Amino acid sequence: MRQHSADDVIRFDGVTKIYQAGTPAALADVSLTVAAGEVAAVMGPSGSGKSTLLNLVAGLDKPTSGAVTVAGLRIDTLGETALARFRARHVGIIFQFFNLLDDLTVADNVLLPAQLAGASRRAARARADELLARLGIQDHRDDYPARLSGGQRQRVAIARALVNSPELLLADEPTGALDTATGQEIGRLLRELNAAGQTLVLVTHDPALAQRYAARTLQLVDGRLVPSNAAVLTQAGPA
Amino acid sequence: MSWGGSVRTASGGPFRHKVQAFVLCMVLLVSTASATLGLALLAASSGPFDRAFAAQHGAEVALSANPARVTAADLAATSHVAGVTAAAGPFAEATVQTQFGGQPFGQLTLAGRAAPGGPVDDLVLTSGHWPDGPGQVVLDDNISGPGPGIGSLNVGSSALTVTGVPGKPSLTVVGFANSITSSADGWVTPGEMTALRAPGTAPAQQMLYRFTAAGSDAQIRADVAAVTRALPAGSVAGASSWLAAQAQAEGNGAIMEPFVVAFALIGLAMAVLIVGNVVSGAVIAGYQRIGVLKSIGLTPAQVVIVYLSRVGWPALAGCLLGAVAGNVIAAPVLHQSAGAYGVGSQQVPLWASVAAPLGMLALTVLAALGPAIRAGRLSAVEAIAAGRAPRAGRGYAAHRLAATLRLPRPVGLGLAAPFARPARTLVTLAAVAFGATAVIFAVGLHSSLSRAEAAQNQSATVPVQIQQDAPGRGPNQSPTAAQFAAMTAALRAQPGTARDVSLYATGVKVAGVTENVTAFAFGGDSSWTGYSLITGRWYRAPGEVAVNTAFLNASGLAVGDTATVNTGTAQVTVRITGEVFEPSKEPRLYGSAQTLPGVATAQNYWQTDVGLRPGISPAAYMSSVNNALGIQGPFAATGPDGGQFYSIASELIGLLSLMVAIAAGLGVLNTVLMTTRDRVHDLGVFKSLGMRPGQVLTMVVCWIIVPAVLAGAIAAPAAVALNTATLHAMAGTAHTGVPASFTQVFGPLRLAVLALAALVIAVLGALLPASWAARARPATALRAE
Repeated sequence: MRQHSADDVIRFDGVTKIYQAGTPAALADVSLTVAAGEVAAVMGPSGSGKSTLLNLVAGLDKPTSGAVTVAGLRIDTLGETALARFRARHVGIIFQFFNLLDDLTVADNVLLPAQLAGASRRAARARADELLARLGIQDHRDDYPARLSGGQRQRVAIARALVNSPELLLADEPTGALDTATGQEIGRLLRELNAAGQTLVLVTHDPALAQRYAARTLQLVDGRLVPSNAAVLTQAGPA
Repeated sequence: MSWGGSVRTASGGPFRHKVQAFVLCMVLLVSTASATLGLALLAASSGPFDRAFAAQHGAEVALSANPARVTAADLAATSHVAGVTAAAGPFAEATVQTQFGGQPFGQLTLAGRAAPGGPVDDLVLTSGHWPDGPGQVVLDDNISGPGPGIGSLNVGSSALTVTGVPGKPSLTVVGFANSITSSADGWVTPGEMTALRAPGTAPAQQMLYRFTAAGSDAQIRADVAAVTRALPAGSVAGASSWLAAQAQAEGNGAIMEPFVVAFALIGLAMAVLIVGNVVSGAVIAGYQRIGVLKSIGLTPAQVVIVYLSRVGWPALAGCLLGAVAGNVIAAPVLHQSAGAYGVGSQQVPLWASVAAPLGMLALTVLAALGPAIRAGRLSAVEAIAAGRAPRAGRGYAAHRLAATLRLPRPVGLGLAAPFARPARTLVTLAAVAFGATAVIFAVGLHSSLSRAEAAQNQSATVPVQIQQDAPGRGPNQSPTAAQFAAMTAALRAQPGTARDVSLYATGVKVAGVTENVTAFAFGGDSSWTGYSLITGRWYRAPGEVAVNTAFLNASGLAVGDTATVNTGTAQVTVRITGEVFEPSKEPRLYGSAQTLPGVATAQNYWQTDVGLRPGISPAAYMSSVNNALGIQGPFAATGPDGGQFYSIASELIGLLSLMVAIAAGLGVLNTVLMTTRDRVHDLGVFKSLGMRPGQVLTMVVCWIIVPAVLAGAIAAPAAVALNTATLHAMAGTAHTGVPASFTQVFGPLRLAVLALAALVIAVLGALLPASWAARARPATALRAE
């Protein structure tokens, strides 16, 4: 395990999460760090605690015990309003099933986090247009998500996650709902983002995806971190 | 597994879906309670006097007998006279002069009764207890203080002083009771009566009767004649008929009926809307589960039964609890309405307690049946898709428009949301519109009635009246010229007196009018007395009169026409200059003593109207004048009377509008709660994107803003129309027209502010589910389906 460093974007210190008293811990005494610019893959079988870990990193849930520090902020002690601000400024989340808002256009979906964060109208539009162009979906800016393919939807979700230029990008099974070719396309996109310095935590049950794109793999079994056999790759990883 | 077993397993039992069951139960509880109250009020407004008369075994005839000519045994024996079905008495009776707080309280007829009950005139004790010792009196609940100079009577602490009898005995008011025919003004123990008889005053006995036939004046006359024949000659001093009380009480009741019915119908309509909305919403919310159930083999019939049973149990519990709650809530409301109708008590009829829950349960089944049958017919995949989200495409344009507006994003998202569920939004809009209409209507009606009260009482212009009901007035005596002069001198000596004018009244004949017309003649300038005019103007010159609506109806004349009046001493032709607001079915005309010769005589003296200088307290003025007039004189100063109806009506209106507004707020709460449940996953997404709790709260509250604004826009004109129609209906039953100023109580600004009631109701109703949504953990919301 890596030693703690001032450059760490994520730091877990003895984090435990128990959903219901008397039931096994979803996460048990987990300590870990993820450095700035790193791609870390979180792997494990179903029910191993991957999504719980992601929720705790994103401030979507609170640990039962332990300390969670993200982007230099101790987030397990924050209230809901401060957590919402934290998410808006520091974290972008990509979901397996996209979680786009069906009644908003592509552009409005992408703009939404910036608007919630209080960004100026002009700056938010410029950033959204830049991202839509960069992700190759600018022609769909006025379409509704229902009219897009899976790959296009995930690109919209990535643009939405990046609109506030977060320090940390969290991806929960980002290729899980996509066919193989589209999945690889999204994987390449994530790698390009990382190459540009974006810190990325990738939750996946696909060893090939983890091996191909992640510099480090965090293996979870029954809520505990176990030694990983995954090779430590370079920051950008192989093509 | 058996057919029924599958259904039971699939439904998960009544306690599986706790939140939905709780919401359904609460909605049915509130709606059933509202419906029970609404039906109870409708029943209460239907012939209240006749039903109370039957329930209280009202006396069809109250007979006064002279005990010098007849014994108690003779009177008691009249209960066996042919045609008498029930009798009570004899009760000793005395008419006494009273004071309260050192001020004349007027003449009261007191009867000695050991208990309130009996076969005839079963009194309803509305407060306090029945006299159980000397020095106690229970007053008829129509008796109140005569004006602002007299404080209100309090049970247990207020005492009346009986003047004109040795020792001036004091009677503590220990309760109030209702005699449906007001057989007496108060009741004391039989032993008290001896102390209340003035020396030289003829004693009297009261007998109360019910007969086999007493539905007309002719039958009453025949009944009294039959009883009189059974008694020694000259023993019957007088007899009063229940028909007079019926006419008066039904007049009052009829005035209340329009607005009571209006509120009851609003409450019922809202209950139906809210239940339909919530129940159908609950079934639609279960479509996804229905799809799953169908995929594992449930038949369409089983699906229908599963969902009917799923909403049925909580609905049944809500209906039963609602019937109980409705009875509890109705108790104080019916107490008010009983006071308004002048009857002893009103209860929720048994049929209302049964019909309201049964009706609401039937409505629940009907509201659930349509969506449940549709769900049964859908394929498994279609049902799952239909249950997930509103139909694709709905509300997209609204979101697009909202995104272009320069509004905070949560506000824009909230404002556009209702367009995704147009049917639900429309029903919510209707519920809020009903609630806001009730509130605006209540405020308007209160203002209208306040204006009517001020106009009828002339409290602003004539805060003090001098009337000849003081103890010094002998029976059937007119004041002497010297007494008039003394009264006038006393008034003029008061520094607070600004103006005064004496008023005389007597019956006159008017050509073309079959019934008697009461002519009021003013002995001086009356232009300041402030009678409200419906049309035309107050009389100014000799030969001019103003008349009430009943006069115009009875004569067929109109303002500007002339009428020939025979005052008994002269026949004069008068021109009608205006229609006065004077609620009475008795035709009346008002003119100067010069216009109506022979009317302004001592025998016809009615009262003296007194106007005060600015800043003078009517109470202090009355006290000072009464001291100057003295207790032995025929005159006493008093305040304007007749406000009881208005105060009871205002309280009832306030209570009813509050209940309707609360029901509307609960309807909004349930709608927002359902929408929150529908959109819980979206809420999780919003939160994961950084939407703060305050922004979530704002967004959810904004869901209801557009329907609320539209509801306010609908409610405002609807309430104005309802107020005008109700006021005219009330005025029609009171045999009067309505001055335009009574209905023009809504200025544009006031109406705009009142229309905000819709927003207030909606926001208050939405706040609770909005705060739940704001507090929800994002991870929990994202996991929810």
